[in-house]
Amino acid sequence: MGIVIAVISGKGGVGKTTATANLGLGIATNDEKVILVDFDIGQRNLDMILGLENRVVYDMVQVMDAEVGVNQAIIKSKVNDNLHFLAASQTKDKTVLSSQKVKHLLDALKEEYDYIILDAPAGIESGYEHTIEFADAAIIVVNPEVSSIRDADRAIGILDSKSQKVKEGGDVHKYLVINRIVPEMVQNGEMLNSQDILEILNIKLLGKIPEDKGVIDASNQGKPIILDEKSIAGQAYKRISGRICGKKIDFVDIEAVNKGLLKKFAGIFK
Amino acid sequence: MFAWLKKNDSATVAKDRLTIAIMSDRNNETYPFMSDLKEEIIEVVKKYINVKAIDIKKEREGGFEALSIDIQLDR
Repeated sequence: MGIVIAVISGKGGVGKTTATANLGLGIATNDEKVILVDFDIGQRNLDMILGLENRVVYDMVQVMDAEVGVNQAIIKSKVNDNLHFLAASQTKDKTVLSSQKVKHLLDALKEEYDYIILDAPAGIESGYEHTIEFADAAIIVVNPEVSSIRDADRAIGILDSKSQKVKEGGDVHKYLVINRIVPEMVQNGEMLNSQDILEILNIKLLGKIPEDKGVIDASNQGKPIILDEKSIAGQAYKRISGRICGKKIDFVDIEAVNKGLLKKFAGIFK
Repeated sequence: MFAWLKKNDSATVAKDRLTIAIMSDRNNETYPFMSDLKEEIIEVVKKYINVKAIDIKKEREGGFEALSIDIQLDR
C-alpha cells in the first residue's frame, strides 16, 4: 500500500510545485514507484516544471469522473521510469472535486504506487481541503518570510482539523521544508533562521533549500533542478528525498556562510 | 567606526511580530454564522426558561473541534 503525501504551503509562489517535482524525481531515484498528482485544478503547472506539458491528453478530473481509465491518463516521465504523473484539469475549477471522488482515485493509486504525492493549490479553500483530506503525511513548504509562515500556520490548522487520519483518532505526519534560504541574509540577521521558523510553527524539519538561481533555469527547460548534480538546491532536494525514503541523512547547515578563508578575512576588516 | 558590529536585526523583529500574529490567528477562531446561531439558541431556550446571556466559542484541541456554548440563566 502506497503512502499519500500532500505538498502544501498556504501562500502561493513559495516553490511548492517545484518542490513536488523535485521530490518526486528524487524519490523515484531511490527505486520507489512514484506518482505525482497535480491538485491545482484550473491552474495546471506541474506539467511545465516536469517538462511533460506536451504529453498531457487526459486529466485527473476526467479520471475521477470515470470518463477515462486511470492508466490512460497517467504519463510516464522521460527521465525516470519510476516517476509517473497525473495532470490537473485546466478547464474546470476546483469546486469539481468531491471527497468521495478523491478517495476513490487515491485508493486506486495506492494499489500501484509506493508514493502518491499531491501538489496542493495555494490558499486554504475547498481545493486545498480535498488535497489534504486523505493524506497520510503533509510536507509544508515555506519561505523564510513573514507572510509565507503565517499562511502556513493557517494551512496546518486546517490540516489538523480536516484530515481523515486525525478524525479517525490518528495522526497526520507533518514536515517542514524551508525553501529559498539566503545564508548571508540569515547571518546578517536580515532573514529568519530555520530554528526560529520551526519554533514558531512547532513542527519537525524535513530539510532546508538554499536560494539557487538555477531553479528558474531548470523550470525554463522543464528539467527539475535535482537532475543538476552541481546545483546546491538540487543537492538539498536529493537529501530530502532520501529522508522521505527512510534513509538517515545528516542535516547540512546551509545557513552557515561558506566563504573562502580570504573572504572571511576581508569580512572582518569591512 | 564600529558600524560592522551593529547588525541589522530585522529577523528578530519578524520573529516577534509573527509569534504575536500567529497566536492571535490561532485563538481568534470563529464561524461567520456565530451571531445568528446565538440569537436562534436564545429563542429556543427562552421558550422554557429565561436567558440572561449566551456565549459561544469555537475550540480546537489536538484533532477535535468543538463548540462550547455557555448559557447564563436569568432568575
